[in-house]
Amino acid sequence: MSIMQYNGSAVVAMVGKNCVAIAADKRLGQRALTVDMDFQKVFPVTDRTYVGLPGLATDVKTLSDRFRMRVNLYRHREERVIEPETFANMVSQIMYERRFGPYFVEPVVAGLDKKNKPFICGMDLLGCLNYANDFVVSGTASDNLFGMCESLWEPDLEPEELFETISQCLLNAVDRDAVSGWGAVVHIITPDGVITRDLKCRMD
Amino acid sequence: MALPAEASTGFKFDNVKRNQLLGDKGYKLPTATKTGTTIVGLIFKDGVVLGADTRATAGTIVADKNCEKIHYLAPNMYCCGAGTAADTEFTTSMISSQLALHSLNTGREARVVTAMTMLKQYLFRYQGHIGAALVLGGYDVTGPHLFTIYPHGSTDKLPFVTMGSGSLAAMSVFESRWREGLSREEGIELVKDAIEAGVFNDLGSGSNVDVCVLTKGNVEYLRGYSRPNERVFKEQSYKFAPGTTEFIDPAAAQGEDATAMDVSA
Amino acid sequence: MDAQFAVAGKDFAISVTDKTAASSIVKMKHNEDKTYELTPHTLMSVSGEPGDTSNFSEYIQGNVRLYGVRNLQELTPSETASFVRGELATALRSRRPYQVNMLVLGYDAKAGDASIYWIDYLAAMAKVPYAAHGYCGYFLYSVLDREYRPDITLEQGMDIIKKCMVALKTRFLIQYSDYTIKVVDSAGVRVVSMDDI
Repeated sequence: MSIMQYNGSAVVAMVGKNCVAIAADKRLGQRALTVDMDFQKVFPVTDRTYVGLPGLATDVKTLSDRFRMRVNLYRHREERVIEPETFANMVSQIMYERRFGPYFVEPVVAGLDKKNKPFICGMDLLGCLNYANDFVVSGTASDNLFGMCESLWEPDLEPEELFETISQCLLNAVDRDAVSGWGAVVHIITPDGVITRDLKCRMD
Repeated sequence: MALPAEASTGFKFDNVKRNQLLGDKGYKLPTATKTGTTIVGLIFKDGVVLGADTRATAGTIVADKNCEKIHYLAPNMYCCGAGTAADTEFTTSMISSQLALHSLNTGREARVVTAMTMLKQYLFRYQGHIGAALVLGGYDVTGPHLFTIYPHGSTDKLPFVTMGSGSLAAMSVFESRWREGLSREEGIELVKDAIEAGVFNDLGSGSNVDVCVLTKGNVEYLRGYSRPNERVFKEQSYKFAPGTTEFIDPAAAQGEDATAMDVSA
Repeated sequence: MDAQFAVAGKDFAISVTDKTAASSIVKMKHNEDKTYELTPHTLMSVSGEPGDTSNFSEYIQGNVRLYGVRNLQELTPSETASFVRGELATALRSRRPYQVNMLVLGYDAKAGDASIYWIDYLAAMAKVPYAAHGYCGYFLYSVLDREYRPDITLEQGMDIIKKCMVALKTRFLIQYSDYTIKVVDSAGVRVVSMDDI
């Protein structure tokens, strides 16, 4: 078994029309044993940028704390809020710094930039950026998510349509993954604000 | 002034012991994104043509269908990367920064040999652990140059080169059709055909062909020069009716955002 | 092979640990307390590698108490848990890391609520309503999932604890003769006798 499967996780981000969405499951397990059904894997970075951290739970916590510190330092030094693309490069740099002893996390960044342009990107555990203009997936259910997103995603989805599409992609992907699921959360980032919803999910 | 710990440079090794411990417990350590790649370069009458496919893989999964493998090094130099995706990305961007500083210091455009030497010395220092296999092309004061650089730091200077998992397919095209004094159009066409040989015959390579033409004082980056694998978009829409997914609004349920992290300083 | 679990209600948390100190197949001790009082309102139970548990816990206890003395202000349960996790994560990256699993139980006087933080030896942390470590988890999560309600009273909490003990008694190969039961609430930490539940 891979260390990435020890705790179980699934994260997906999608682009819509003037909006982006990021969703994750909520399970924390130790291999096959579920310990928590409300484990946070998606973290707000700014009002309109979110980061998803699927992977080893201890590194999820270490990295979310580290990112928070770096984003706060950035805000104080620059006297402005960090842009999603800048943040993605910051994450990438922090990951590649540990090229020879990586954190076991494959981050996903989603947000709207200052011109309300959607931005999403994924990364491998070494910090290699993967920009996309449709969707990015990560975690133990990533293969399933690829299949779901590849068939369900289409361009120019409105926020409510994007919510249905990303939710169905995530729910059906985690239902075919034994170690992720057990609750899910979706954030839809729009120019007017973020809509957060907890999904009703199969609990098996 | 002492820099804060977070601002220090160079690789950090603090996770290595922990990861070794996990490895010893029998957990398989995950693999990074690789660019199972076809990258090529050739010299033609007036300069250099570089070419690359655009597939990135993670194991057998196609992680990115349209990634950029021709990296910017300097205004007169570009570099194709194969191997561990993160390594090619970060190695080229770091050398690019050093070249920019170098030309600011000297007041001249950097030479291709300079970039080649910096890259090989850097890769040799890491004894192949940085898995970057590169095709470096450029046009400087001494004319056109084309190099290959291997992860261990060895280099070749040749008139036509290929690298990556699709290198054999691409080389067969070059071997049969490359000659001295190719025209610009012939050069681009040959590079396109070589990459397409990789795209269609090597499973690690795929999608589109990126081309970059470097001539005296000019660079033409042709992103998506050939797109032989365009996706026919779905005829049917798979939109769901609003209300398909059942949910609860945590803000309404608990009076405040239950999952929000405190982002205040 | 330790038994270690906990349940939290709105304003109380109950910790249960077994009292056995074992070495190989031998019971070395029958009255070991595997919990550490970190602040007047925070309790930590530990299991894992025998030497590591006491070493790490005493280090944590010393530093959390030192913080209280220095700042005339005790750490809240969530702050305490974060500190414990941070120290464990740092130690995990050393030559010989601590192999300890922990449950941090606390009552936050200001917020008026009780909480449990589950921390494993890899320094993964989760705030949970009920928790167990080790083999216990395989038997007790099913009981806890069925019996737990967010609005349970202390008496109902004790009933759940009893049902957990019954489950261990009937199905677990290892038999625990005695448990340390402690309650954390607004009054602080107190021991509850096995006879009283």
